[in-house]
Amino acid sequence: MKEFNIVIAGVGGQGTLLAAEALGTAAVKDGLNVRVSEIHGMAQRGGAVVTTVRIGERVHASTVLEGQADVLLGFEPIETVRNLKYCSERTQVIMNTEKIPPTELASKNLKYPSSEKVMKDISLFTKKIAQIDAAQLARKAGNSLTQNVVLLGALAGTGILPLKKQSMIEAISELVPAKYAEINLKAFELGIQSIEKGKEA
Amino acid sequence: MPGKRVLLLGNEAIARGILEAGVSVVTTYPGTPASEIGDSISEIASEAGLYMEYSVNEMVAVEVAAGAANSGVRSLTAMKHVGLNVAADLVMTLAYTGVRGGYVIVTADDPECYSSQNEQDNRFYALLSNLPCLEPSDPQEAKDMTVSAIEISEKLELPVLLRTTTRVSHTRGPVAYGNLKKAKPQGQFIRDLKRLNMVPAFSRPKHTVLLRQAAKAKEISETSPYNKVVRKGTEIGIISSSSACNYAVEAADLLNLDAGILKLGMTHPLPERKIIDFINQYDKAAIVEELEPFLEMQIKAMAKDHAPNVQIYGKMNTEFFPREGELSTRLVGEGLAKITAKPMPIDFREIDEKYAEIKRDLPSRPPILCAGCPHRASFYVIRKVGGDKTLYPTDIGCYALGISPPLNVGDLMICMGASVGTAQGIRKATGKDTIAIIGDSTFFHAAIPGLVNAVYNNSKIVVAVLDNQATAMTGHQPHPGTGLTGMGSPAEKVLVEKVAEGCGVKYVKVVDPFKTREAAAVLKEALKQPGPSVVVFRSPCTLMDLREKRRRGIKATPAKITDKCTNCMACIKLLACPAIGVEEEKAVINEAFCTGCGLCISVCPYGAIQGSCAE
Repeated sequence: MKEFNIVIAGVGGQGTLLAAEALGTAAVKDGLNVRVSEIHGMAQRGGAVVTTVRIGERVHASTVLEGQADVLLGFEPIETVRNLKYCSERTQVIMNTEKIPPTELASKNLKYPSSEKVMKDISLFTKKIAQIDAAQLARKAGNSLTQNVVLLGALAGTGILPLKKQSMIEAISELVPAKYAEINLKAFELGIQSIEKGKEA
Repeated sequence: MPGKRVLLLGNEAIARGILEAGVSVVTTYPGTPASEIGDSISEIASEAGLYMEYSVNEMVAVEVAAGAANSGVRSLTAMKHVGLNVAADLVMTLAYTGVRGGYVIVTADDPECYSSQNEQDNRFYALLSNLPCLEPSDPQEAKDMTVSAIEISEKLELPVLLRTTTRVSHTRGPVAYGNLKKAKPQGQFIRDLKRLNMVPAFSRPKHTVLLRQAAKAKEISETSPYNKVVRKGTEIGIISSSSACNYAVEAADLLNLDAGILKLGMTHPLPERKIIDFINQYDKAAIVEELEPFLEMQIKAMAKDHAPNVQIYGKMNTEFFPREGELSTRLVGEGLAKITAKPMPIDFREIDEKYAEIKRDLPSRPPILCAGCPHRASFYVIRKVGGDKTLYPTDIGCYALGISPPLNVGDLMICMGASVGTAQGIRKATGKDTIAIIGDSTFFHAAIPGLVNAVYNNSKIVVAVLDNQATAMTGHQPHPGTGLTGMGSPAEKVLVEKVAEGCGVKYVKVVDPFKTREAAAVLKEALKQPGPSVVVFRSPCTLMDLREKRRRGIKATPAKITDKCTNCMACIKLLACPAIGVEEEKAVINEAFCTGCGLCISVCPYGAIQGSCAE
């Protein structure tokens, strides 16, 4: 493996930072070199956020180059589209279908882009798209706040991640509050299953 | 556990370095991208036996630490880049007195202004003050250099700058732990009139001492393991530092360049011999650095006498690398491609064009005030009373987001505390009603002299203090008004209204911003005062409030839109609350986001929203 680049895109408050930290922690557990980039402060207040994880011996910079993502993990449809510049035909897109309408839609009387439009935009860059209803799976796991971990599960479920599943499980258990660990691990499994089911179909 | 490899944020790595260096006094004023240094220490300070404080501002933070360091105690102060402007008066002369215990000032710069009002390059403070400067490129170096900086400081008896950038402070990477060193918070102050009192007669010889120490620092830089050739090559010599060096290494890989790379970790004073020996191996040298041509200027000056035949490329005459914004492997690659006449292996232009097309119609999502944020209520009241004719200088904090429509409060924003001072000039020059907007932490940080000035010079301004009981934007750190210290112990609450009264302000009122009618009446009265007035809009940050309620098992009751709704959209047009959206041409409340603050209930002209409301 030369390098493996993950772009995580979402809205401030969705738990993208925790997802990235879990991936980074798992990489360290597996003895791999890793860099995770984060943006804090002003950029976090309900705004668009993007976090990148890069794994590989020759990785120095924490940011991903245009067209060089192996995975785009989109926590929200508009934010997935906003980060397509990182994608090429080899990129696997995993997208949460749960919409968070930007506030300006209401004030400017605009409509949220249709699912068809979102899918058309993504397919301009890559045909490898997996859609996940992370909100529903998170509720099934026991807490709607575990959508980020459902999406991590979906990412693990693709089988393209150069990380051991056990390391991911350990990383998640260490990073979430102890009393929510069980729910989060359930969310992780549901995420994995959702992708595996998709593969069979 | 020494040797253990852990994933750490750059700032957490600096905190680990603090523990490995036996630093015993840590002071800070929170500011992105530096905040997690102080926060990490605050969490463990009493357990680790060291003293930590959130100081009122960066100047005081350096003063407290300088006092400790001059009593022989290892100390460190962390701040964002602009914080060093606040502390600069002290730092410039602290370079003359020097220190006895090791003392490091961490300055976290913010290329690209991710969370800042400018992107100044603080390496120039090293040049200006003659103080040594270290620049880590990743979390491992951030930790190691914190320890080294303390050692260098103690050896030279000078403060040392540790300069990070957002991409160093906010990058996570593997860090191998070293040994912990026990904190020694008790020191001894040794009186030394000539060394420590910078009256002119003593300052002059101390300037000579500083230059002598700077010469010693240069020798340290010449032999420093942080200044090293990280890659050998014949085609071109690259000199780089900090995160820019990460991009340079990867760009050289991308272009398949046979490049030699000299990585500089100690960038002031520069290792002149090492640099000259390196560039003299090449016909061409490229200086790759973020922001200003700090290295390039100095290297070109050295090369004029010692490497006159080497062609040096950077950003000074022709811009091979941009001087503004942050760099990337792409930008560095494009610059190196131009210099070496090599093709870029990735067609970025094709990606750009394709992306521009889908980006055009994509709704933007700028940062906004949270649902339930008390600032939204304050701005609604301020806008309603002041209207378009009033001018609103504003300040640094979450409330800077008030500049966006429909709140539209914020006409001039420059730096911490400037709203109160600039308001006075605006009022003088325009004669218009002027309301300065400032937060609680920012008020304590830098607004008090401005307020005293308004009283003294009888400036008819209103100061609206949006008091949400925390330094919210940077992560809810405590401040003098919160009754809590960085050590987690209770403290005397310094109240904004008492300070204002003490400064001599005659009209001082505290209001609840969610009681919009009452708050509006008070603000109207404040505008009628013959001199300066202060209105404190007090209500806790909604994020803290929700956390506290969750802890106590209290659930938020979301507001509900009833049949009385006429679709006038006033709630949306006046508030732009993230919890109110539009579905099928009707305003709807998103129950998952609504905190039940009740502001929309106050503003609805038809009484069509149900729920609890403060009025």
